[in-house]
Amino acid sequence: MKNYSLKRTLPALGLLGLGLAGCQPELEEPTSNKGTADFTKYVAVGNSLTAGFMDGGLYREGQLSSYPNLLAMQMAKAGGGAFVQPLFSEAQSNGSGYLKLTGFTATGSPITASVTTNLALRAGATAARPLYTKFTEPVNNLGVPGIRMSDIETAGYGSVQGNPYFERITPDASPTQTYRQRVAASQPTFFTFWLGNNDVLGYATSGGAGAGITSNTVFTTLANGILDDLTAGGAKGVVATIPDVTNIPFFTTVGPTLRATLTAGNVPGIVVTTGTFSTTPGTPATRKTIATTAIRDANGNGNQLFTLTAAPYLGLLGRTNNGKAWRDVYGQVRGALPPAVSLSVFLAIQGVDTTQAFGVSPGNPIPSTLVLDDVEQTTVRTATTAFNAALTTKATAKNLAIFDANAFFSRVAANGVVSNTVTNTAAYISGNLFSLDGVHPTPRGYAIIANEMIKVINTKYGSTLQPVDPNASRGVLLP
Amino acid sequence: MTFKSLLLVGGALLTGTAASAGGYQVTLAGIKNNGMGGVGVGLSLDQAAMFYNPGALAMVKERGVQLGANATLARQAFRAENGSVQRELQNNTTTPFSLFAGFGPSEGKFRAGIAVYTPFGNKLQYADGWEGRFALTQIDLKAIYIQPTFSFAVTDKLSIGAGLTYLALGSVNLQRDIPAQNADGQFGSIELDGEAERKFGFNAGVFFKPSEKLSVGISYRSKIDAQVKDGDVTFRNLSATVAPRFQATKFAATLPLPATTSIGIGVMPTEKLTIGLDVNFVEWSAYKNLTFDFNAPVNGSPTSTSKRFYEDALTFRIGGQYQVTSGLTVRAGGAYDNSPVKDGYITPETPDSDRVTGTLGASYKFGEKFGVDLSTQFVNLKKRTQTQDELLSNGTTDRVAGTYKTSVVVPGIGLNYTF
Repeated sequence: MKNYSLKRTLPALGLLGLGLAGCQPELEEPTSNKGTADFTKYVAVGNSLTAGFMDGGLYREGQLSSYPNLLAMQMAKAGGGAFVQPLFSEAQSNGSGYLKLTGFTATGSPITASVTTNLALRAGATAARPLYTKFTEPVNNLGVPGIRMSDIETAGYGSVQGNPYFERITPDASPTQTYRQRVAASQPTFFTFWLGNNDVLGYATSGGAGAGITSNTVFTTLANGILDDLTAGGAKGVVATIPDVTNIPFFTTVGPTLRATLTAGNVPGIVVTTGTFSTTPGTPATRKTIATTAIRDANGNGNQLFTLTAAPYLGLLGRTNNGKAWRDVYGQVRGALPPAVSLSVFLAIQGVDTTQAFGVSPGNPIPSTLVLDDVEQTTVRTATTAFNAALTTKATAKNLAIFDANAFFSRVAANGVVSNTVTNTAAYISGNLFSLDGVHPTPRGYAIIANEMIKVINTKYGSTLQPVDPNASRGVLLP
Repeated sequence: MTFKSLLLVGGALLTGTAASAGGYQVTLAGIKNNGMGGVGVGLSLDQAAMFYNPGALAMVKERGVQLGANATLARQAFRAENGSVQRELQNNTTTPFSLFAGFGPSEGKFRAGIAVYTPFGNKLQYADGWEGRFALTQIDLKAIYIQPTFSFAVTDKLSIGAGLTYLALGSVNLQRDIPAQNADGQFGSIELDGEAERKFGFNAGVFFKPSEKLSVGISYRSKIDAQVKDGDVTFRNLSATVAPRFQATKFAATLPLPATTSIGIGVMPTEKLTIGLDVNFVEWSAYKNLTFDFNAPVNGSPTSTSKRFYEDALTFRIGGQYQVTSGLTVRAGGAYDNSPVKDGYITPETPDSDRVTGTLGASYKFGEKFGVDLSTQFVNLKKRTQTQDELLSNGTTDRVAGTYKTSVVVPGIGLNYTF
């Protein structure tokens, strides 16, 4: 009797225990609904940020990491169709080439090298005028690095004399097709539109010395036109605003170190030129003295910004008989100068005497290309604000979703952004978000942008696209 | 089986512990008690009273020794707010154990005893590449208490008792990834491994049995701060350029093993039926922050602090046993645990939630002196979600937003020998 009970109880308990031990809880997978949007044909319109440009180049890894590609993958779960990108092939995966981090100097400055293998350069192309292996199938990602709003109606912009990235995807049969025509012909059911950054960025990254800022009237007219085209067939979409570029590492990395060095050396200030270079003999480039305390530090004190490209020259400050900075400037601008303007003529016009102490004497100032001063920043901000007003006005009129990239990047610059326990910031290299060019995001940064876009799409169209895990995408790889 | 060989079995089980009560507390002492919802404060079942209420030990008639071992089989699902893949723990089994030996004169008014048990513990290993990898990839937390106990019957209705709780072994091993990638794209990782200082606390209890049909008890177990002073820090997969920022080799940290106050009632309507009701009050609010102090800066800071802000928590337990034959006793019970972890403070090392437990158990006596106890607990943690917005507003973004769901099954076996 006793044994009988035990024999029955023991195995029963054992089985119960083992049976339930195998019970793996399941959490229901969130559903992806399209809401009132139709993701059947998603087309991405934009510039380098849309193409997946990063580390100073366009290459396959960046293309695969682009926010449109990530968005399309999430849309595919809500009825989205195929999304074709003009990918560089595996064999030419390094595309245009890009910057790679190889180490740091003893003082902690990054050392980068250009990747020059497995490029997608076409036979006969030169470094000065690169042409890339063509991709002539229809594409959904129409991101063209370098394109400005002011370029979208330029016939021949996709020709061999035009933008090599647009040329690459322009059909041979229609070499003069404008970007606007190409976009209009794409006939999306859903689109993202993030264009216009380069209309201020080129001015800013050249320290106010190079390309001018597009006029607000031109910008508004062109933006309205292309958005009318995109929505002509009833497509819905997202319009992104233009971030204030003065928050990006390209402008915030070098200044704090420079300021600390000058402070330690009791240097009260430095001399720079501002604006464009002079073309009139007898009228030297405009000088400007910047007090050391006016250079923006890591805490945001000070209002003078130094570009990432200034880094190699700042160690030369105070040296006499050093004209490296000006020789390099001459190398950059000589193509636009009459052949008669030699280096010495150019320097004479600017009023530069390279025997004087570099950067601290008015005779040998820091070239304007390395500094975005307070006045130039105001110019950039004013234009950005006006462009964004134009974009949001049109987007509102068309009842489109708006991704306020400007507000988003301002928040990131102030507080960083957290992705699954990792705090990402706008700091150069260590911040995870910006690639080695200091302007374009890393794959992590693009994933976070995709999530921000998903938020506004879901809010506007009642869809339930699921966010991606930004940590599945890399930040900056450290050697 | 001799007493000596029983001890050897215990030695083999000194390998790990697991979580199966609120926070990282483990209430798995006494296989009989396990079978009846973990009640015991108002009962005088056997030598395991040393854990539940040392005051009741003097009322335990038999002298004896009992050994218990549990296997905890935890299964967990997690879905991150960003990322739609369901993540699961790498299945592993941990084995909390207990040993209780009670001595004393057969007719005397006192009992003495020694108890060894594992009141706290936690072992989890997350799936490779999961979304919370930078908060935690795996944890193994162990605590073993040794408790010499003395209990005295003031009258034949009232007894008191106390024990010294000695933290004989406390160890922690924490591993997580570092969000810096080397040239191959591998993430760095950090491992913290340390042993706690040995320390004393105490527990004490009062037991009152006004009639054959009713008994009540109250007990208290003091807090012990488990302190690691000289733990080892190991970094892996760091790139050469980042390694200079991660130079620490030693760490110190303190983890509170909180005080618990319990009251319990026992009702014995017939000689064969016993019903117990317990309420435990655990002073989890002692756990405010988890701070690691390093001997060299780790990514710029010599300390790392993570908010916990636990709240005191109550557990309600009910259970009963019925003696079916002179040899066979069957048990059942249940418990409801309030989680000490507030919304937005859930960490991967303690993905806690309010939990409902059901238990079953049985004992069988082979003759007068030897018996076998069996128990199984089914612990169901409620599905729990925390959002990134909650983490941001609490300043707790060092953990991951998402939804956890956990269930645990704890089969147990005990051997007891009375003399």
